[in-house]
Amino acid sequence: MNKKLQTLYVIWYREVLIYLRNSLKFFTSIFLPLLILIFFGTGLKTIFPTTVLHYDFVQFFFPGILALSVSIMAISSTMSIVWDREFGFLKEILVSPISRSYIALGKILGATTTAILQGALILLIMPYLGINFDITSFIKTVLVIFLIGYGMAALGIFFASRLKRIESFSILSQIIIAPMAFLSGAFFPLKNVPSWMAIMAHYNPLAYSVDALRWVVLSKSLNNEEILLMTTHSLPVCLLFLLAFNIVITFLSVRVFKKLN
Amino acid sequence: MKDLSEKAEQTEENQNNILEVIQVKNLKKRYKHITALDGISFSVKRGEVFGFLGPNGAGKTTMINILCTLALPDSGLAYVNGYHVINQPDSVRKSIGLVFQETTLDNHLTAEENLYLHAMLYGVSRKDFIKREREILKLCELWSKRKMKVETFSGGMKRRLELVRALIHWPQILFLDEPTVGLDPQTRKKIWDYIFTVRNKKNTTIFLTTQYLNEAERCDRIAIIDHGKIVAIDTPKNLKRMIGGDIIIFKTENNKQAEKEFRKKFPEYPIKWIGKELRIEIDNGDRFLAILVKAISPHITSMQLRQPTLEDIFLEITGRKIREEINGELEEEENRGFDITSLFTLFNSPEIKEKKSKTEKR
Repeated sequence: MNKKLQTLYVIWYREVLIYLRNSLKFFTSIFLPLLILIFFGTGLKTIFPTTVLHYDFVQFFFPGILALSVSIMAISSTMSIVWDREFGFLKEILVSPISRSYIALGKILGATTTAILQGALILLIMPYLGINFDITSFIKTVLVIFLIGYGMAALGIFFASRLKRIESFSILSQIIIAPMAFLSGAFFPLKNVPSWMAIMAHYNPLAYSVDALRWVVLSKSLNNEEILLMTTHSLPVCLLFLLAFNIVITFLSVRVFKKLN
Repeated sequence: MKDLSEKAEQTEENQNNILEVIQVKNLKKRYKHITALDGISFSVKRGEVFGFLGPNGAGKTTMINILCTLALPDSGLAYVNGYHVINQPDSVRKSIGLVFQETTLDNHLTAEENLYLHAMLYGVSRKDFIKREREILKLCELWSKRKMKVETFSGGMKRRLELVRALIHWPQILFLDEPTVGLDPQTRKKIWDYIFTVRNKKNTTIFLTTQYLNEAERCDRIAIIDHGKIVAIDTPKNLKRMIGGDIIIFKTENNKQAEKEFRKKFPEYPIKWIGKELRIEIDNGDRFLAILVKAISPHITSMQLRQPTLEDIFLEITGRKIREEINGELEEEENRGFDITSLFTLFNSPEIKEKKSKTEKR
């Protein structure tokens, strides 16, 4: 048992070490969400006057951007597998006498950690956007971010194990990540969209992530009715869906990773 | 519980006392279009430096991949340190150290971090790691560079660091796949010195592949492999004895005439065409040179006398030179199954298409 934990730790440690050492990536990873929040948020606010909307547009926008940037961070961290393959390091890990499942789990947890670090950094600007929070809502938010990051990291491993070249990542982001992001409800509420879109969103884990974050992030700023207006699912439903998704995708990604050679 | 662990220790001890650390019997492996290994059998003794010699595409890398559990054989048996490569891959992996043809270091990290990660992956304790790191890094003259990032290293330094890394868990057997390819002669010599130092100090068995004949001559034993088969296996000295005495290579103004006259006068010595030259194998070649000049009528334009090399052996056995065909790249990666990118070859990946068509042509 001890040895297996050590395996997890080694793989996790390397992922986090590389993330922290790459200061450029560290900086750019929070820079873009901030830009979107500041410019987009302020700009879009001008077309939705508060009389129509009942709530501040930034309050609607912030949890969505948080969910998206955490998800993208988690997925792009798992692309280290493709880099490792390109530069050969993957082979070093694959021939070592440790279980493949634990390598995969270590990678997932490493990517989750980078997502949480990024999420926490973005959370620090909440007060400046007029969103109230206290220590409990902060911890709850971080826990939800863990759920989201973990699922997306596992999804990332699932795809990254099949990619042979780093250029393929742009394809992955276009056909998988972009539709998921657009159908997540981060940019517009999914309440009144046409049914074909609603059906697609119904199976989109990111839609549940965005809703879950709205419930926990805004719990100290808006009351339940107001949050209900901008979400499609209740918090327990979101959490249950995310948990189920995480279990299934962990199973799948470990299976794919085991077949790697 | 205690008994069990003692027993486990004992068996490990037993494993480490096995004399024939690598045993291979009738091993076969086929890729889609090519037979990479066609019934290979051999064994390697503990402490031996064993060389696998052959041209590109002869199946050398496939052999190493099977022995270190990266590829599965189609049929046949293979044991490494007494463990079965298919049924006990983890035990095999623990007993071996590997240096691949391509570098497998993590460029983002420092030399020391690379070694430390490796030590943790192989379950080396921190105390042991600190001791060994110092010893091996000093041996390979990298101690002063240990805090530097690997991306700043030269090719030779990277190679040395990989060697250090492969040794940090004290493997019973060290596998080296073309360890000196692409390095300058000085570094090459150094790498070989390290290899022998390690062998002498730790009695580590060393299994290496190479296409450099002068390097293969330093091995205790070599196997010459061609088209997936072992065509000769012995010590370099014995192999050279396959060719009687010395070799004379000469060229005349009329080779055909010279050959005819030679066959007539010395029917006991074999003569062969090598390109545009004639080759004779003979005892006491130095004395024969003078006789030869007088014996044949066409004017001799060039003449060379030398000791047989492994190159000659290879030529003798396979009928061609070892470095002749460079394009016979067989060690192609196995198809990894479904790759999403293949769906998009139509849009933006001309290279993939090119690659595909190349493999098809083959």
